[in-house]
Amino acid sequence: MTETIVEMRHITKRFPGIIANDDINLSICKGEIFALLGENGAGKSTLMSMLFGLYEPDQGEFLVRGQQVKIDSPNQAVALDIGMVHQHFQLVSNFTVTENIIMGVETSKRRLGIFPTVDLKNSEKKVAALSEQYGLEVDPRAVIEDLQISERQRVEILKMLYRNAEILIFDEPTAVLTPQEIQFLLQIIRNLRDNGKTVILITHKLDEIKQVADRCAILNRGRLIAVRDVSQTSTQEMARLMVGHDIAFTLDKKPAQFGEEILRVDSLTVENEEKYEAIRQVSFSVHRGEIYALAGVAGNGQVELADAISGLLPVKSGHIYLKQTDITQESVRARNLRGLSYIPEDRQSVGLILDFTLQDNLVLKRYFQPGFRKGQRIKLERWQSYARRLSQVYDIRSANGIQTVVRSMSGGNQQKAIIAREIDQDSDLQIYVQPTRGLDIGAITSIREKLIQERDHGKAILLISLELDEIMACADTIGVLYHGSLQTEARAGELDMETVGAYMMGAQHE
Amino acid sequence: MSKQKGCRPGWFLRLLGYKKTQFLTIPLFSILCSLLAIAILILLIGKNPLTAFQSLLQGSGWLPKPNYAAGKSILTDLLEMLDAYTPMLFASLAVALAFKAGLFNIGVSGQMLLAGFVTTVLVGYQDFPAGLAKPLVVLLGFICGSLVGALIGFLKYRFNVNEVVSSIMLNYIIQYVVGFFIQTRYVDVVSRQSRTINAPARLTLVDVAWGGVKLRLPLLFIPAILMAVLLYFYLKSTVGGYELKAVGLNRQAARYAGIKVGKRLVSSMTLSGGLAGLAGVTYYLGYYASIKPNELASLGFDSIAVSLLGNSHPLGIIFSSLLITSLDKGSTYMNSTVGVRQEVSSLVTGMILLFSACSAYIRYKVDDSLRLSLAGSEGTAAPIQRKTPASGSGKRGKNA
Repeated sequence: MTETIVEMRHITKRFPGIIANDDINLSICKGEIFALLGENGAGKSTLMSMLFGLYEPDQGEFLVRGQQVKIDSPNQAVALDIGMVHQHFQLVSNFTVTENIIMGVETSKRRLGIFPTVDLKNSEKKVAALSEQYGLEVDPRAVIEDLQISERQRVEILKMLYRNAEILIFDEPTAVLTPQEIQFLLQIIRNLRDNGKTVILITHKLDEIKQVADRCAILNRGRLIAVRDVSQTSTQEMARLMVGHDIAFTLDKKPAQFGEEILRVDSLTVENEEKYEAIRQVSFSVHRGEIYALAGVAGNGQVELADAISGLLPVKSGHIYLKQTDITQESVRARNLRGLSYIPEDRQSVGLILDFTLQDNLVLKRYFQPGFRKGQRIKLERWQSYARRLSQVYDIRSANGIQTVVRSMSGGNQQKAIIAREIDQDSDLQIYVQPTRGLDIGAITSIREKLIQERDHGKAILLISLELDEIMACADTIGVLYHGSLQTEARAGELDMETVGAYMMGAQHE
Repeated sequence: MSKQKGCRPGWFLRLLGYKKTQFLTIPLFSILCSLLAIAILILLIGKNPLTAFQSLLQGSGWLPKPNYAAGKSILTDLLEMLDAYTPMLFASLAVALAFKAGLFNIGVSGQMLLAGFVTTVLVGYQDFPAGLAKPLVVLLGFICGSLVGALIGFLKYRFNVNEVVSSIMLNYIIQYVVGFFIQTRYVDVVSRQSRTINAPARLTLVDVAWGGVKLRLPLLFIPAILMAVLLYFYLKSTVGGYELKAVGLNRQAARYAGIKVGKRLVSSMTLSGGLAGLAGVTYYLGYYASIKPNELASLGFDSIAVSLLGNSHPLGIIFSSLLITSLDKGSTYMNSTVGVRQEVSSLVTGMILLFSACSAYIRYKVDDSLRLSLAGSEGTAAPIQRKTPASGSGKRGKNA
């Protein structure tokens, strides 16, 4: 390798409760494609945000071109010829490509020698030339809102190039793209390198790294695990390094006693709100006494699948059977009453009404039932006693008892409230999406124990999680979702963590 | 954000910050602020603000005037104020109900006008006996208003048309269509308004002689108060009210709970429109007996702020409507006695509404500075509620 362009020495960054980056030492060479690999929350984005001046490190220092630098704002980063393409594009949608690119660095000229105007014509020429040079295929006069997602991303790339960026950081650039677009982007990244640029690629997709990267650094829970030469490392090994060896803990779990089939999903296809097929031809079934865990990286259709089963998203084709009854067209409420509980991923905006009291949230799926009302009038005493019982049994803690406004409760207690409400319906099918996200270890253990306890009571459990150790700890059956389809399905004992990890990354097609 | 006070919060701040009474203290604080602002203004024009405020209360029948013309007394003034109060209460309830369901009914004026016009033509110009005409006016008014409301709700539910846009457009349509018919068919050539309706259809009894004075009796005053109480119970202790609030606070969660969100949106907008219809008939066929063409009642817009001032709470609105109507009705008298022009009373109203519109901001500031000063005195950083961005939750939460 040639000269080092960026060097990081002992970079440490703490956020309340977690260490996002722990003593990281890295050097990146000029003219290479360097990949940062790691699971969600491994600290990849934090590290790069510091290089781009969005955060400042608590300890450690950056060296750019051998000079020690203090990067405390993105402007500073740009001055050092560092550019970043974020996951969410920062473009003005009713401006043209050129207008977006030159914004902030406009060249002006004087019309008729008096009036200062933006020199659009020359800028357009320059943008077109850059687009040509790197094979970006962007029309400088197109208006952003008419462009596809992938084209907008290329505008972001042009924006960096226009500012003479030498070090280009891509934050999960392929998350929003289709397979063909991904190939096109990877080619562009190669072109950038061939023109002497340095590219840093943040990703958790192994196959992309294998295709383009020269070297890759693997992060796990904030620590740098390894730096490898991509050509001499197998995807399996990368997956193993990424997931880490230490599986935090094991749960006391009896062997599963499978009963009759409760949920059957039959070649289900679901479109999300953008009319994109988020779930394609997925089939599986869950039995009494079984925890069926669906693994997958975020955004591979998990939420859409859970929403479709619970009735929040319409089904495009295929069928859903609950206890042998076709519920594909039934309303949310009918499904609930038939025996379906759902702990949604987004607990604050779907699972709870934050401005309601704890009591009113706990009766959210009961209030209409006889016993909870008398004609149109609600039976307040019953609501109160029910809410009191649930908060006692499930140990929900709040400042003002059942009259506490849920918004003011802690995340863990909010989640406990949802789980209490859903489990208490005594439904045969329970869907858990990311049930332990963002909770502390105590709450995590208690929720996982509850899950297994419910299984032992003969419920069918569908667990959807992004965390592999959660899947490995709880599952009786494991399925892996990748790009909306079921990659593989097997008994828990038949798959080890690395294999599941590799399937999640799409490394093992067919 | 920046200032970090180390001292204990003052008593006033603590009083305002006390959560349980905030529903009362914050609006009262807003009113106080606006009265102070107006007092300064009146001082600047060289008058005594206390006499001005006193005359406002005298004019609206709360305090006795020094002398009365023949056939008039404090009761005359009070009942006239209550006659204007009735439509204001209905209109504000209409706004509040929609607001609770998460909708903004800015079309109250249009709904009022349509209800007023249709009932004027169908009942007001007919020779029905009073016992038939009055209930018919109320019923028809309610239906007209609720149909407009239902249309707005349906457009929202079926085509996702923003209710603010559709109700403003409907306001224009109703205003000019009604104006056209009044001017071409029902106009009174002298007053340039619609012809006065026949007495049996009118919802206010005028010139009722009692104890030597002549009084107005707004027949729907008591029903309006009852309606507010009824709505209070509806929202507080019925299944429908619970669902409506759930939809208003979090549509996604309501859907997740199995509530039929579309149905709730349409039905609450229908009810809101119906209440606006009642405001319309008590205004055009009660307080007045004719309609001015090509004009929307400003009351319909004031009601938005009145509802805000009352915290969108039906019982709070009983009082906020009373306050605003009193200020409005007292202004003529203030003008004639103190020489403070009538416009000043509109200024008072405007100020109160402005400050009450800021009540959420005031509450936020109070809570914030309370939190900061408490945190400062304990020497610990206040917990900052931050929504952790769900790294992978993708494209959720965008649907309105």
